[in-house]
Amino acid sequence: MTTSSVAPDAAAGGYNVDVVEQSDNRMVLSMGPQHPSTHGVLQIITEIEGEIVTKAIPEIGYLHTGIEKSAENLFWSQASTVVERMDYLSPLTNALCYYLAVEKLLGIDTQIPPRGQQIRVLLSELSRIASHCVWLGTGGIDLGALTGFFYCFDMRERILDLFEMSGGARMHPNYIRVGGVGQDLPQGFLGKLDAFIAMYDDRMRDVRRLLQKNPILQDRMIDVGIISPEDAVAWSLTGAPLRATGVAYDVRKAMPYSGYEKYQFDVPVRTEGDAYARFLVRLDEMDEAIRIIRQVRKELDTPGPWQIPDTKFAPPPKETIALSMEALIHHFKLVSESFRVPPGDVYQAVEGPRGELGYYIVSNGDNRPWRVRTRPPSMYNLQVLKKITIGELIADMVVMIGSLDPVFGEVDR
Amino acid sequence: MPSSQAPPAGATALDPTAVRPDINDARIVRVTPAEIRATLEVLRSDGFSMLLDIGGADYPGREPARFDVVYHLLKLPARIASVAEVGTPERVRVLCGVREDDAVVPTVSDLWPSADWAEREIFDLYGISFSGHPDMRRIQMPDDWEGYPLRKDYPLRGPANERTPRPSFALKSNVAAGTPASGRTAAALQKQIAQARGRNEFHGAADPAATAQSGKTPGGAMTAGAATPEQLAERPHDLNLQKDDTK
Repeated sequence: MTTSSVAPDAAAGGYNVDVVEQSDNRMVLSMGPQHPSTHGVLQIITEIEGEIVTKAIPEIGYLHTGIEKSAENLFWSQASTVVERMDYLSPLTNALCYYLAVEKLLGIDTQIPPRGQQIRVLLSELSRIASHCVWLGTGGIDLGALTGFFYCFDMRERILDLFEMSGGARMHPNYIRVGGVGQDLPQGFLGKLDAFIAMYDDRMRDVRRLLQKNPILQDRMIDVGIISPEDAVAWSLTGAPLRATGVAYDVRKAMPYSGYEKYQFDVPVRTEGDAYARFLVRLDEMDEAIRIIRQVRKELDTPGPWQIPDTKFAPPPKETIALSMEALIHHFKLVSESFRVPPGDVYQAVEGPRGELGYYIVSNGDNRPWRVRTRPPSMYNLQVLKKITIGELIADMVVMIGSLDPVFGEVDR
Repeated sequence: MPSSQAPPAGATALDPTAVRPDINDARIVRVTPAEIRATLEVLRSDGFSMLLDIGGADYPGREPARFDVVYHLLKLPARIASVAEVGTPERVRVLCGVREDDAVVPTVSDLWPSADWAEREIFDLYGISFSGHPDMRRIQMPDDWEGYPLRKDYPLRGPANERTPRPSFALKSNVAAGTPASGRTAAALQKQIAQARGRNEFHGAADPAATAQSGKTPGGAMTAGAATPEQLAERPHDLNLQKDDTK
């Protein structure tokens, strides 16, 4: 019997699934893009024989919104609002990487005030925990562990409350600005942060009890989706998928930025390379993140400037605008035409929750970026599905997608 | 504090990568499409085992190569390695200039399997194709899409007949083009306004006696020199437009 249900019109650029000769128990199955376990709009054209996957072709692009193009047509200071929408689970990491690159082009990357850097590190690590909470919660749901979801989202909700206090918005605060952050941490923030730090250990112990030692989850994840270190490097994996294979590459350690070299933390590494190893690496990363947050918290008691005191980039304090003509002019210039960046190109990377997030930015000296290219870690991590799903059970594919933790705002941009 | 910002040195720099400030972010190699395979193979055997990203850039007007295909490489041990062994890996950026009339680059998807989607994305958004790629088709845009969105000459809005209609007075260029997207010409608009003024609808219907006293028409326009709808239609709708005297 020949099945050709998928591949509607191969001649007109249809799917490249080889459907010519198929045996009786081989069929082509299209999973997604509306499948709940694909964590977004991923479609996988799967060729299965019985329950074994013989070929898998991920199709992306269902969430393409042209963010890179949009960023090229906005001011330097406006573009951060759209790049924050790429990885919508950790928007601050995107904004941080974008502004680190812009600051390098401006030549002010060494002048960021310490408090600005501390707040940036604090928010990056909080983003990491919040993002991993979503992965942990939804990944548990994929495997039938519903309870963990509520614990994780409760924890994330508290972090989003902190974001809302600092930047005014839960999801896309646009709080990081060129030369620092938009404003100082508000009153009451540190108290709420202390409360979060205090509850973290207990809550995390609950989550680990619920999920880590859960025999059903272990059965589903151990020895599923094994990646060797050679493959991980060849397929450009970064973040937890790479470190779960034994290659301890973490941008925060390898090329520290924003003062990460000052803080004590370890890079969690495992060598098994399977879904459970990725799971454990991420859990340990959350613990390392809170370790960094505790160190930053001690430094935050010292007040200081949070943004570079250069009114060519940072708007003057609001209260001076009504009193000083110069402040008013600077404010008007920044709002109406933003700042200009000297011509050149730069690549800057940060360690996002999903891996090395990079920005290749080109300026031609204008007040808008010429090119904003993102190195999307999820896209490269997801691509390895083409390899690791072959010969595995189709039910395990859901586990593999979950363990790679893709965010489709970033994959498709 | 004095600003460290350099003066805007030529906002129209044709090739910003050539005038880049001294930033120590990566070693930079420039090649042509003919050399790219050999260069990347040498770098790969040199220990640059990870192809971090392939991106594109468009510099219209730059000669001879309009596009750049940008390869970001990382020198990473492809085996189990501790933080100390990884150390501070070296970065290399390979800029491959591509001509517009011969926008073909040899693929590296056989050297690094991860190049697959990245090359497809450049093909999709820049129209640079990669020879030898096993599956060269669009990835982000629909398969039947026309044009390459990330090129600088790609319009930011769709063609006029597909746009949401806008009132013609909202956009001067529409008026200048003669056929506004809404299909309503400036003359027709003036006529409509004049008609509305002629009716006793604006500013409440004033009674004729009071109108005669105040010397105003009900529409609010001055009596002296009030134009008829026909006169209004003949007036130049846009005073900024230059009259064509050559005809």
